[in-house]
Amino acid sequence: MPDRHPDTTPDRHPDTTPDRHPDHNTPHLPDGHPRRALRLGVAGPVGTGKSSILATLCRELAGELAMAVVTNDIYTDEDARFLRSAGVLPTERIRAVETGACPHTAIRDDVSANLDAVEDLEEAYGPLDLVLVESGGDNLTATFSPALADAQLFCIDVAGGGDVARKGGPGITGADLLIINKTDLAPHVEVDVAAMVADASRARDGLPVLALSRHDPASVAQLTDWVRELLVRHRSGTHVPTDPGPMAPHSHSHSHDGS
Amino acid sequence: MAGLAHLLLGDGRLPVGAYTYSAGLEPAVAAGLTRDRIPALLRARLHTAAVTEAAAAVLALRAAGRDPVDYGPVQQALAARTPAAPLREASATLGRGVQRLARRLDPGHPAVAALSGIGPRPLRPVALGALGAVMRVTEEELARGVVYDELQTITSAALKLLPGDPLDSVVWILDAEPHAAAAVAEALAVRTPAGLPARTPPLTEQWALEHAQRERRLFLA
Repeated sequence: MPDRHPDTTPDRHPDTTPDRHPDHNTPHLPDGHPRRALRLGVAGPVGTGKSSILATLCRELAGELAMAVVTNDIYTDEDARFLRSAGVLPTERIRAVETGACPHTAIRDDVSANLDAVEDLEEAYGPLDLVLVESGGDNLTATFSPALADAQLFCIDVAGGGDVARKGGPGITGADLLIINKTDLAPHVEVDVAAMVADASRARDGLPVLALSRHDPASVAQLTDWVRELLVRHRSGTHVPTDPGPMAPHSHSHSHDGS
Repeated sequence: MAGLAHLLLGDGRLPVGAYTYSAGLEPAVAAGLTRDRIPALLRARLHTAAVTEAAAAVLALRAAGRDPVDYGPVQQALAARTPAAPLREASATLGRGVQRLARRLDPGHPAVAALSGIGPRPLRPVALGALGAVMRVTEEELARGVVYDELQTITSAALKLLPGDPLDSVVWILDAEPHAAAAVAEALAVRTPAGLPARTPPLTEQWALEHAQRERRLFLA
């Protein structure tokens, strides 16, 4: 997996974070030690496997990391109930927030309900290493505010069609990790996974793309390794939360090759 | 830039979590309320919960102007007049968003610092009193903001719960104006926490208790 995480991107630093209350929201103490958990957002269109990815991450990482989950749904508790029934994390560590039928608002325009949930989980079960925040299944435009998520992965799947990666959108082009999920289904839906990964990589200008199937242990290991590496960067203070959206024209000091 | 703060207070886009609340509409719809009855619900809220909430916010704003700031009496008076636990919880959840904003605007302000002394959490009108002090709004602006927000909350939630022509919402709110003005006047006339009106409509309380037991909710309450 190619990776590109610049050490400094001062123009994208989230100075607009709505709250940096020292008790809960300062990611690092002055001496560089982390004060709070890494907050990883999981976004993507409905039905692409976000809840399944959360279950996989909990199953694989809960043995080594102190974790909790916040879900955002159109109907408040659907995903939370799915995860609780999956038995991958103690049920009290999975919280659902009311989104007033606006899951997009809850992760981007007004993140207060989610911040409350994250802070409550840290207060009750902290210190935590990792809090996963799942977005409600929305369309391609919903991404997390950097005021809520330190990093985010965006999930699409092969069943949505091979074109999706090429069409782009803020999550596809700018999320910290793009997952192309359900690769085991590719032969059945006539999608060329390699071509889809190549399209996505071009759209993402070097940011990582992962072809994932929960039936493929090697791909699951790549996912968990990515999270572990992210956590190391978060703890060392070298990870800078970036905002993938909204859809803004982007520019580069270099020219694109062959695009 | 004077004159914008009170507009912000009544703006549903103020990022303090208001979109998670339907001011009783979702529980009412579950109990059978239909779209044609929304104006009646607005009037009912303006004669009941909105008066209590606006009056509590004004009392909190006055408390915020004293030295030392003590929100205890108004918080207790309001909690005592909010007998349904789910409604107290919803109010505390919404108050937390308001507190977060007030802290962001002026963490060192005595009106903001005193909020942390309230246990377990400040109810929304109390936090709004503190925010009003930070934003330097008048008592009347604050009361009108609370009352207007009540109307906007219900009509916005109606777009999700009882969809129809969105322009209807504007008509409903304008039609409710005399009732809103009366609610503001009544709230401003309250002088002490002991005199806070106990306007708790039993049906609303009952619906809120039923709502808390329901799965597949959209809104807090």
